[in-house]
Amino acid sequence: MSTSSESRQQILKRIYAATGSEADQPEQAAAQWSALPRGYIQAGSMSGEARIERMVERLREYDAEVSECEPEELAAAIAAQLKASGKRSIVAPAGLPPEWLAPGYDWKIDRDLQTEEIEKAEGVLTACFCAIADSGTIVLHHSASEGRRVITLLPDWHLCVLKASQVVETLPEYFARCQTPPALVTTISGPSATADIEMTRIKGVHGPRFMNVILVRDDRSKTRLN
Amino acid sequence: MRASLFITCYNDTLYPETGRAVVTLLERLGVEVDFSPRQTCCGQMHANTGFRGEAFSQAKRLVQMYQDTETVVIPSSSCVAMIRDQYPGLFEELGNEGLRRQFAALLPRVLELSEFLIDRLKVEDVGAYFPHRVTYHASCHGLRALHLGDRPYRLLNKVRGLDFVPLANLDRCCGFGGTFSVKNAEVSSAMMAVKLQDILQTGAEFCTALDNSCLMHLGGAMHRQYLGMKTIHMAEILAGAGPGATSNESMTQAEAVQ
Amino acid sequence: MTTAELAPVSQHPVEPPISQPIEPPADRPILDPTKAAAFPAAVLPVLRNPQLRKNVAHAIDVIQAKRTRLVEEKTDWQELRSAASGIRDEALSHLGTYLEQFEERCTAAGGTVHWAGDAADARRIILDILREEKASEVIKIKTMTSAEIQLNPFLEAGGVGVFETDLAEIILQLGEGEPSHIVVPALHVNRSQVREIFARRMGLKDLSDDPKALTAAARNYLRRKFLEIPTAISGANFLVAETGSVVVVESEGNGRMCLTLPRTMISIAGIEKVVPRFRDLEVMLQVLARSATGERMNPYNSIWTGVTPGDGPQRFHVVLLDNGRSQILAGKTERQTLRCIRCAACMNACPVYRQTGGHAYGSVYPGPIGAILTPQLMQMHHAQSLPYASSLCGACYEVCPVKINIPEVLLELRSQVVHQERRQTLRFFDPMYLGLRIANLLFSRAWLFHAAQRLGRIGLGLFTRRDGWIHSLPSLGAKWTQTRDLRGLPEQTFHAWWAAREKEAK
Repeated sequence: MSTSSESRQQILKRIYAATGSEADQPEQAAAQWSALPRGYIQAGSMSGEARIERMVERLREYDAEVSECEPEELAAAIAAQLKASGKRSIVAPAGLPPEWLAPGYDWKIDRDLQTEEIEKAEGVLTACFCAIADSGTIVLHHSASEGRRVITLLPDWHLCVLKASQVVETLPEYFARCQTPPALVTTISGPSATADIEMTRIKGVHGPRFMNVILVRDDRSKTRLN
Repeated sequence: MRASLFITCYNDTLYPETGRAVVTLLERLGVEVDFSPRQTCCGQMHANTGFRGEAFSQAKRLVQMYQDTETVVIPSSSCVAMIRDQYPGLFEELGNEGLRRQFAALLPRVLELSEFLIDRLKVEDVGAYFPHRVTYHASCHGLRALHLGDRPYRLLNKVRGLDFVPLANLDRCCGFGGTFSVKNAEVSSAMMAVKLQDILQTGAEFCTALDNSCLMHLGGAMHRQYLGMKTIHMAEILAGAGPGATSNESMTQAEAVQ
Repeated sequence: MTTAELAPVSQHPVEPPISQPIEPPADRPILDPTKAAAFPAAVLPVLRNPQLRKNVAHAIDVIQAKRTRLVEEKTDWQELRSAASGIRDEALSHLGTYLEQFEERCTAAGGTVHWAGDAADARRIILDILREEKASEVIKIKTMTSAEIQLNPFLEAGGVGVFETDLAEIILQLGEGEPSHIVVPALHVNRSQVREIFARRMGLKDLSDDPKALTAAARNYLRRKFLEIPTAISGANFLVAETGSVVVVESEGNGRMCLTLPRTMISIAGIEKVVPRFRDLEVMLQVLARSATGERMNPYNSIWTGVTPGDGPQRFHVVLLDNGRSQILAGKTERQTLRCIRCAACMNACPVYRQTGGHAYGSVYPGPIGAILTPQLMQMHHAQSLPYASSLCGACYEVCPVKINIPEVLLELRSQVVHQERRQTLRFFDPMYLGLRIANLLFSRAWLFHAAQRLGRIGLGLFTRRDGWIHSLPSLGAKWTQTRDLRGLPEQTFHAWWAAREKEAK
């Protein structure tokens, strides 16, 4: 039984023998990668309004509650959602704009919160990186305003702020938006689910069972273009 | 128009009436049919069971036999698929450039029966009469290898008196699979049972197809189980010019082996 | 309120199915190709189990319906397949380059990459890491790769408690059962059986048998494990060479739990899991979700790169597993086997699998992909019956998102099996082998063929009844006549009719 480095040598030797190359060929690989056929749909064809409608439709199919607001109403919209939820202890990433933190709630700002504390919280408020209308997907890159992965995993309720300008139609458009590949990504397309018991679909196994999305209409100018 | 009939080893032995029907049909359509008595087998059975070496010699024989033929017509999708899908690899491996070129020249001239009728003769109404309720079973080779598409339907549609009922789950394999039918006889039978359910649902008197291989399997079970249904190769429907023309069952009565 | 509708797969890749009657069987299903019965024998108990066959067929029908709807909706589906196939082929043709790149980037990001030549290496590497961590327990996301190397029993024997976290796996682990289906592994266990298992093993006397309550019980049971066990093991759906990232695709959320909460994370992945660049996921994720569960996107995808300070496990290990893959890579026809992204679309489409479920394949990998992968991983020393467990209908090839021509590989493997076996004495008298050798001789000359036809007619005539049909044959023929009649050979072959007609014309 070999040590890892012996195995590494042997495995690579076998691989290079099997693929007919003496050694590492990154230039050739890059050239061949660039020549790969990509005839699939990359850019979406929906109008801005249609795209937003599709996004909302998909989110609602997943039983997410979606409310819209104008950019200047955001703080008030957040406060309204919090009030309606009846929840008190809410986790927030450290990088959230302070005006989002409506008064009267037990805000747990995540500066290295203990797991047990997050576990006890009733909800979490975050921004997001992007959303994909075609599949109703919210994408988190876990930046300062989106927070560590654990805070959108343990609480049962996720209040997510999504700007209309962050919505794309297709998955390739999301990838096009990533200037450089992110180190951490979580995509969320509806709550978790299982059908393991007699094929009966049960939603919400692990992870937040409830999601509210505030859609900020930063895509509409005062003169309503597009 | 001339055409050489490659009858296939199993049709020659087990279903000569299909061959006779093809001849009747093509001659009625004005095609001069010839038949090389030297023919035996395309090699599919061997190739598919893993006896690749044996398949080489059979492929060679076939290609050499049809060097100068205008068109080869084969009333069997699986044999055409063998020639189209597997012969290229076989000849590549054989390494004989002359043979490979011979094969490449022959390939476009090899057609399955419905392909010959629709694509080459450009005919849909072949002057057939078959006043029975019929369902069509799409063999996997016809469906996925040859992409026969709507050709069989276009032909059946024009058969006078024919009451066509579509088959549910059309794309599901009947379970024959060549030697699979004996190597994995139990699974083959399970798949056959499921297929028969769908066929019986149609209420048809006849189940037709462009491959006697599937029909041998399905028809054998129909007979065993007294299902009151028969199988018949589409060539025999298309060749039919009178009431109750040909069917496997009546063939047997007319030409009892004993 | 519950809807009777098949849900997404609990995790990719998923544990393979084994068929099982409702009552626990006397002998348990074996998913070890070195020990399992050959396919024709292994199917027999399954074929006699109506409940299981019905459940498998139902599960398959639901997924297929969902998949079909979404594939029809996706107007660029064929282009996506071409791209997916191209991406996987490119990864394989420069596999060494991409693996080295993955290792470099993952290591630079704080991960540790290990290379395991075979299953024993991989098991040892993982146990060593666990010992170093002084881990007495691990939580696991289900992964076929770990089942392939038989990891769980090895860890248990090494003093590490293993806790599976997928719902179906918990039902089976606690109930000491075996998975019976790849998509919904515990579908043979009904709700009252689950209730009984959970009540007994979780100490919940008043538990109801409502699936919602049972799922909630599992959620609670696992909660403490997720929060307390500091070591986790996962597989990987994809490894991204460009970034050194790992991708895990799932439905239940247990994956996110396992890869976020613990201190130490170990991911095991076959070397073929690599895709060249991050952007390639835009294709792979689209085809995977639709193929596997008929969804546009499954609930959660997680991508992480090495270690992120302050977020998730601070110790991360990747174990790259060869275990026969580099050999498959070398085969011209065989290499496409490694394109597989473990979506299970092939088995959902397979008419054979529909009747037999997965157990009969006697392997961690069942269905069409299993029929080609398992024997190859065994270097053709075992599972030689699997390449024959197919009617070559081609449905698998039609649905495969990465266009693996499974029938082509099956034929290649059949010829390898025959090459291996034909020299063995026992095969010399095997009626199939003998029959085919003789048939080849007969096909070489028309007169031999014709003579054989005449002899055959005489011989079979002995078995032909008054109605002109054969109802029973001996030996190999019996496999036909056990469920089908065979029409007796007609008096006149086609070629004889033609010859007579020619003669008459003259």
